[in-house]
Amino acid sequence: MAYGTALTAVVVDDHPAVRAGVVHWLSSGTPPVTVVAEGEDVRAAWIGDGAQADVVILDLHLNSTTPAMGDLRRLTEAGRRVVVYSMRADDETVLQCLELGALSYLTKAEGAEHLLEAVRAAAADRPYTPPSLAGALAGDRSERRPALSARETEVLIEWFQSESKDFVAHRLGISPNTVNSHLERIRVKYAQIGREAPTKAALVARAIQDGLIGVSDL
Amino acid sequence: MGETADRVLGGCRIALLVVTAVIQAGLSLPVVTGTASRYAFAVLGAVLVVAAFWVLRGRPVPWPAAVTGGAVVLAASAVATWSVPPGELFGDRHWVFGLAGWHLLILLLDRPGAAVVALGAQLALTVVRLVTAAPTDRAEIGGVVIVGLSVITFQIATLALVRVVNRRAGEAAEASAERDRLLHRKALAEQQEADQRNRFAGQLGATLPLLAGLADRTLDPRDEVVRRRCAFAATQLRRLFAENDDVPDPLVHEVSACVDLAERRGLTVTLAVSGEAVPVPTAVRRALTTPLMTALVAARSQARVSVLRTGDEIRVAAITDGEPETRPNGSGAVDVEWHALGERSWMEAKWRTEPR
Repeated sequence: MAYGTALTAVVVDDHPAVRAGVVHWLSSGTPPVTVVAEGEDVRAAWIGDGAQADVVILDLHLNSTTPAMGDLRRLTEAGRRVVVYSMRADDETVLQCLELGALSYLTKAEGAEHLLEAVRAAAADRPYTPPSLAGALAGDRSERRPALSARETEVLIEWFQSESKDFVAHRLGISPNTVNSHLERIRVKYAQIGREAPTKAALVARAIQDGLIGVSDL
Repeated sequence: MGETADRVLGGCRIALLVVTAVIQAGLSLPVVTGTASRYAFAVLGAVLVVAAFWVLRGRPVPWPAAVTGGAVVLAASAVATWSVPPGELFGDRHWVFGLAGWHLLILLLDRPGAAVVALGAQLALTVVRLVTAAPTDRAEIGGVVIVGLSVITFQIATLALVRVVNRRAGEAAEASAERDRLLHRKALAEQQEADQRNRFAGQLGATLPLLAGLADRTLDPRDEVVRRRCAFAATQLRRLFAENDDVPDPLVHEVSACVDLAERRGLTVTLAVSGEAVPVPTAVRRALTTPLMTALVAARSQARVSVLRTGDEIRVAAITDGEPETRPNGSGAVDVEWHALGERSWMEAKWRTEPR
């Protein structure tokens, strides 16, 4: 990490107000996340300080109506940890971003709390699943979707509906930590399907280190 | 044309077949002489038998069979005509002339143009035989042609009559079907109107006593309970209007209508939708949104509403910071669950798109 032990991030968004807001949220978190670069296009993440940042916060719609899937793919192929932060929330785009190796997908309706958690998780190669992403996964009808257990599906649905892990834990009679590990295990399953990406491999390796899954589960 | 017309035409064809068989057996058989004539007679009989295969089942003779049969009949007619002495053409012993025309009619009744051509060919054939066989005077030729024409004309007249009857039958059937359709449409429209009235009356059920109560001042708008009832009735009306809108995703449209009214009351509501739109019957949409209205009316300041559509089920859920006085149960295929945790209350209405 470039700046000692503090987490670093680069913000790529075509709206200056959004960049300013995200920088403020990240720097006022505890512990704070240092934004080392920001820019209106993806060059900020490739050159200068941004090239060394731990996490890339990427807006999918950069001055264009088509989502910047190519930019996302090049970043994840280079092993960059990407958190997608987008206006749009159609399920197909969301699932495609996961397929390409994004560690999290947040809609702009989801605020500072989710963004901070997603950035912290991404810096440690861990996935973060905000409620809107949980909804997209619960509604996933694609043929390649991984098989989820009944409990995992319940966790996704309850989390999507309530936006509260305490509430999910209470409803299902489990601890909030168990809720988190269910969500992470679901993401590991998703990381194992489709095209390969260094970020997805790192995510699976981290899950093994964390004891979430065994090597025999692969 | 319609079934009726087909039946009428089938009947005509059978009548023609019977008449022709009777003429062939009764009038022609006694005057058949000579080997060639007998063969021609047998061939004509065979054509009748083959045609009977379709005619007796009320169906027209198929086009290829009709054309082949027509050619066979004309050939048999030629053979029989040529074996009659020239002096007796159109006479009693020229049995084939009156007969073969009926065969052609049976075969070609459904194709009037082809039938007329075939009958013309039959007449021409005999005239050619008459002219080439023996030198005769004009008066004689004139006489026999008149006899020939009268026979052919009778057959063509029969053809025309059958076609006219057939067309009239078709028109009658058409008119009767149109009348049935009109009656059906009328009944359907009446039913729809009645349904619409019932629906509005049913949905307005809660609104009218409320309005009456406010008007005669038995209900006080300052009362919290009355305000909730008003909010509920307003949401109900708003959803009812949304029900009749033509939109690609009616369920989300109606849920948004409920959310919209809650926001007007000053609530902060987030709405999350996941999954693709699937067709949901109106009654099910109503059953899914009714508990949502109850939950939103009870909310004090915040609510999260979600619509989740997976492969086989639809869930409409709401988490609010208020406790509803009543918790309506699901109706029909929709299951409704309520759950409270501290200040918050959770409601979920669930419908399985494919019953297990």
